[in-house]
Amino acid sequence: MSTLSRRAVLRGLGATVALPLLDAMIPARAAAAARQVRLVCIEMVHGAAGSSAIGMKKNLWAPAATGRSFDLTPTSLRALEPFRDHLTIVSNCDVDPAEPYTASEIGGDHFRSSAVFLTQAHPKQTQGADVQAGISIDQLYAARFGQETPLPSLQLCIEPVDQSGGCGFGYSCVYTDAISWASPTRPLPMIRNPRVVFDELFGVYRSGATQEERRVRRQEDRSILDWVVRSSSRLAATLGPSDRARLGDYLEQVREVERRIQRVEAANGSGEPRDLPEAPAGIPDSFSDHVRLMFDLQLLAFRSDITRVVSFKLGRDNSNRVYPESGFNGPFHNASHHGGREDRVADFARLNAYHAGTIAYLLERLRDTPDGGGTLLDNTVLLYGSPMGDSNQHNHKRVPFFVAGHGGGALEGGVHVKAPNGTPLANVLLTLLHRLGLADVSSFGDSTGALDFSAPAVGG
Amino acid sequence: MLNVAAAVIAIALAADSAPSLTGTWNMGLQGGHVVPVALVLKQEGKTLTGTISMPTQHVGERKDIELTGEFDGGVLKLSGAVDGAAEPTTIDVEGRLQDDGSLAGTLSMIAKETRRIEWTAERLKERKP
Repeated sequence: MSTLSRRAVLRGLGATVALPLLDAMIPARAAAAARQVRLVCIEMVHGAAGSSAIGMKKNLWAPAATGRSFDLTPTSLRALEPFRDHLTIVSNCDVDPAEPYTASEIGGDHFRSSAVFLTQAHPKQTQGADVQAGISIDQLYAARFGQETPLPSLQLCIEPVDQSGGCGFGYSCVYTDAISWASPTRPLPMIRNPRVVFDELFGVYRSGATQEERRVRRQEDRSILDWVVRSSSRLAATLGPSDRARLGDYLEQVREVERRIQRVEAANGSGEPRDLPEAPAGIPDSFSDHVRLMFDLQLLAFRSDITRVVSFKLGRDNSNRVYPESGFNGPFHNASHHGGREDRVADFARLNAYHAGTIAYLLERLRDTPDGGGTLLDNTVLLYGSPMGDSNQHNHKRVPFFVAGHGGGALEGGVHVKAPNGTPLANVLLTLLHRLGLADVSSFGDSTGALDFSAPAVGG
Repeated sequence: MLNVAAAVIAIALAADSAPSLTGTWNMGLQGGHVVPVALVLKQEGKTLTGTISMPTQHVGERKDIELTGEFDGGVLKLSGAVDGAAEPTTIDVEGRLQDDGSLAGTLSMIAKETRRIEWTAERLKERKP
């Protein structure tokens, strides 16, 4: 049996389907095992109830105990309990670059915060094309370790991010809509439509098919796998039994995701009233359906090594979206302005728990996917958080944040680290960069130094 | 004679050490939630002039309102008319300097009806963007 290239693909007319890691790819597999840590950066807006005075007292975000014996029960992270050994919760950090620096910036928190989350840089107040922030952590990683994959990185989002010009308080909408910055002046567009992501991953755009041809093919309700059936049969015939099973399982996963997208497109094209009338047909009206679809696409991208870096924006500042599946029916932005009232803080915490709980789906899928000598979760660093702290105050202190995954052994997990008061979140991101193999990066944003994730508890 | 000179010096020192409100203040209007607004003040003697940037009904927009008043005995009083309002509207800002250097007080929007909002303010650490 000859060695298969890690970059081998199933090729057909109008599609290119990358392959999962197979035994036949050894020694590519051995090389891949040395450095294949995936990075997922997820941003949610509006801070967390746990960053308010009442919320801190009640441990609505971070657990009371530091170290390893933490209890997630009262926190918004309780749905992540099955993955506690993979969690590194870092609390009590501030995002000072999101604070106002001048009089004209006061009040503009919602319009600049997202640009700060992954860059930890203070955005220049402008509505023009002369935007400026900093290079984001995902792009630093992609520049170093993402160049050998077909897509260096993937930028995804849930809410509409297609506004142009100024969004408010003299800030360009780009600051509100983009979290990934390839350079301090180059924000990267985010993809909202799962269909677009699917076609991007499976080479439909690179196939040269026109927009009209792609539309006609979608209407035929056929699978992308139909286009590569000959290629996959030929390959399967050359593989051993375990690789054949692995390939079959992977292609079934591709097909299953494609079916879900087709079902959404059919339902949304039926003429029935939609919850999101402005959204393209490929976008599910349900938040959790949309998020799960995006997570499954990320999983496929990682399995096939199309990319190793994803940034994912779950919300948009000032959004008043309602999340009925959370058990609370109040609008998001209004709920974040809880006025410090205990009952309203509790309602907002339910939204936070629901949002953070969606991550469990991806963690489970990553944990159940073999990768190298372990699982994809073992070889992933997933960070989740918000650049805002107490949204009722519009401040950026004690922001909600956690990391999941072992990062190929870079993170021990199973720990809650409470940083000393005033610690920049940038210190955490700098530490992650070091653990991810960018040890030569000496500073990041407003960092003052790396943070010891196994540091003794400060406070309690 | 010496006593008079000492008294003059003491008064001068006291005047010099009296806190000036000149600068930018990050003011939080305590409505249903805290709305941050910029209050920029200039103090000359007891006289205060300044600008408050009030949010409008349109998300992300604000309107600058010129204020004049005074700061005496730790108490500030400012007032200004809202240009272009549908009905004549005045904004009164009253407050007191707190021991920790912050300000706190009440803002009144006076039109046909008067609406009062509690506020606190901290001096903005102005930095180069």
